[in-house]
Amino acid sequence: MRFADAVEFALASLRKRSLRTFLTATGVMIGIGALVSMISFGKGMQKNVSDAFKSSDLFSTLMVMPGGTEVPSGDPADRPRPPLKKEGRMDAVLDDAAVAGICRIPGVRTAYPDINFPALIGFGGGEEFRLVQVVPAAIAATKAVQVKWGRPYASDDEAGVVVSRSLLRRLGTAEPAAAVGKTLRITSVSIDLGQLASLDLAAVFSGKGSLVVRDAHDFPIVGVTEITPFGGGGAGPVGNAVLIPPGTARRIKRLPITSIWDLFRLREGRLGYSAVSVKLGSLRDLEPVKSRVREMGFTTFALADQFDEITRGFYVMDMILAAVGMIAIVVAALGIVNTMVMSILERFREIGVMKAVGADDKDIKRVFFVESGAIGLVGGAAGCALGWVVSLLINRVVNIYLARQGMPYIDYFAFPLWIFLGAVGFSLLVSLVSGIYPARRAARVDPVVALRHD
Amino acid sequence: MNAPPLIRARSLAKTYLVGNVRIPALEDVTLEVGEGRFVAVTGASGSGKSTLLNLLGGLDTPSAGTIEVGGALVSAMDREALARYRRFGAGMIFQSFNLIPARTALENVELPLVFANIDKKERKRRAAELLAKVGLAHRANHRPPELSGGEQQRVAVARALANGPRLLLADEPTGNLDSRTSREIVGLLAELNRGRQLTVVMVSHEESLVREYAHDIVRLRDGRIVATESLS
Repeated sequence: MRFADAVEFALASLRKRSLRTFLTATGVMIGIGALVSMISFGKGMQKNVSDAFKSSDLFSTLMVMPGGTEVPSGDPADRPRPPLKKEGRMDAVLDDAAVAGICRIPGVRTAYPDINFPALIGFGGGEEFRLVQVVPAAIAATKAVQVKWGRPYASDDEAGVVVSRSLLRRLGTAEPAAAVGKTLRITSVSIDLGQLASLDLAAVFSGKGSLVVRDAHDFPIVGVTEITPFGGGGAGPVGNAVLIPPGTARRIKRLPITSIWDLFRLREGRLGYSAVSVKLGSLRDLEPVKSRVREMGFTTFALADQFDEITRGFYVMDMILAAVGMIAIVVAALGIVNTMVMSILERFREIGVMKAVGADDKDIKRVFFVESGAIGLVGGAAGCALGWVVSLLINRVVNIYLARQGMPYIDYFAFPLWIFLGAVGFSLLVSLVSGIYPARRAARVDPVVALRHD
Repeated sequence: MNAPPLIRARSLAKTYLVGNVRIPALEDVTLEVGEGRFVAVTGASGSGKSTLLNLLGGLDTPSAGTIEVGGALVSAMDREALARYRRFGAGMIFQSFNLIPARTALENVELPLVFANIDKKERKRRAAELLAKVGLAHRANHRPPELSGGEQQRVAVARALANGPRLLLADEPTGNLDSRTSREIVGLLAELNRGRQLTVVMVSHEESLVREYAHDIVRLRDGRIVATESLS
C-alpha cells in the first residue's frame, strides 16, 4: 500500500468520525499549547535576562569587595562563603586610595565606589523612603543607566539627579518627560555626635533634643530612567531609583554606613567602601584586571563568570516547565490511544474486508499509524497557534498590570521558530507512539472473525 | 476432471477450540479441483462448507493437512505470504457482500488494487472496466447502501477479480438474494468461468441452484466429504 493511499484512507476515516477526531485533536492541541507556552516563557525569560546583561554592560563590569568579608549586602549569616573570598586579605581597605589604584590598572575604564544612603524622597506632593545611589557622571552617561527622558548629569558636581520612572509613578507623576527640570527633595538623616558629646541625654530622651539630624536638599531632575525588571538601569551595580553625582552627594549629610555590617569592616579606624564597581574597556580585560585586583588584597565578583551558572539555571527551569507541559501531553496521548482503539472496534469488519482482499499486517498498521499521526499533526499545529495566542494574551494582561506599576512593556514569551517546529514534530512523535498499540491490535485482527462480525 | 488440478487439498482438518472444548469443523478432507472447473460445495448448515472455503482462500489455516493452489503450498504460508495469496491468488465473495459502506462501488473495486500498489489512474481504469463487465458502469459512484443486493454482489465479484486471480471462491453468494437475482449471480459466475477460464468454487446449500452450471458437486456432512459428483 502506498503512503498516499494510507493518507487517503486515514483522512476518510477521520472525516467520517469528525466529532471524535475533533475532540481528540483538541486534547493534543491543549497539550501542545501548554508545552509551547511553558517553553516560550522559559525562553522569553532567558532572552530578557541575556539581552539585559548585554545591553547594560554588566558583562564588562567587575565588582570589587574588601578582602575577607562577606558580600556587601544581605545577612552575612545566611550566606555561604564563596571560594573567591579566600583570595582577599583581611587588612586591605577599599577606600579612595584603593579606588584610585584600581583605576590605574590597564584595561579599567573607570571605578567608582558603591555608595548608597537612605533618604526620604519628595516630589509633587508624594514622599517615599528610598536608597539614593551615588554614581559618577561618567557612569550615568553609559548603558548601565540608560536615561530615557532628559539627560544624564553632565559632571560629578552638577546639582541634579536622575530618577527612575517607577519612582515618579509611585510619587504620583505619570508623565516622566514632564518631571524633567522639576525639583526633587532629598531629605537625609545623620547622627549628631555633638549631642552625645555634650551628654545632654536628658534632652534627647525628653524629646526636646534629638540625635538624628534631618538634612533636606532640593535638586532638579535632569533625567529619568526606564526601569525594567531585567536590567537596563534596574539590575546590577546601578539599580536604585535616585542617582546623584558624587560631588553633589558630598553636600548632603548622611549616615556613613548603609548597614550594620559596615561596622565590622572598620580596620584601624578606616572605614572602606562596601564595594567598588569597575568598568572595563572590554570583556577581554576581565581576567588580567581580576588578577591585579586580587593581588591588591580584594575580592572580585564578575557577572560574566556567573553567566554560565545562570544559563544552567535556565536549562533546569526549561526542563521543569516542559515537565509541567508534558502532563497535558500524556493525557492527550491517552486520548489518541482511546480514539484509535474505539476506531478498531467500530471498523472491525472493515479491517476483515481489507485483509480478505489482500491487505497485509503492514498495510493495516500503516493506515492506523497515519490516522493517529494525522491527529497529532493537526493537533500539534493547532496547539502551536493556541500556545502562541494564549501567551500573547497572558503577556498583554501582565503588561497592562505592570504598566499601572510604572513598568515598561516587556515580552515575557519568546517564540523562536524551533519551538513551533519542535512542538509539531514532538506532537507527531507522541501520536505515532500512541498509535503503536492500536495499530498492532488492528493488524492482529483475524479476518474470519472480523467478517462474521456485525 | 480432465484439466490439471489447480487446487490440491489433502487430509484437511480444522478444529476450533471453544473454551476447553475442541470442535472439529472439518475432518480428513481431500479434494482436487481442476483449472477452469466450476465446483459447487453443498451441504447443510454447519457441515463445514464455509470453513473449507476460508481455508482454500487463505483466510484461515488448517489444523492438519495441506492445501496447494497453483503449485504454491498455501497451508505452509506465513501471514505476509497469505496476504499476498489473497491479493493475487484467490478472489472471494461472501453472502453478506462485505463491501465498505463509506466507499463507492468504484472505490470498493479499487481496494485490492490499492494493496497491490497500483497507481491511482490505472486503478480507476481497471475498476471501471470490471464494473462495466458486471453491468454496473452506471452505478460506479454509488455507495453500497444505495445499491440493491444483486448489484452489491456484482460489485463484490468485480472486486474479487481486480487483481486477476485464477481462482474465485464464493461463500453462499446468493444467501441474501431473491431467487431471480440468485440465478443472475450464479449465471455471472458461470459466465466468468467459461469466458475467462476462471476456476470457481462456490458454496451453496441450494444444490438445485448450481446444478445447471457446476461441473462438479462436492457434498459435505459434519465436516467430511460424503459424496462427489461430476456433472460434465
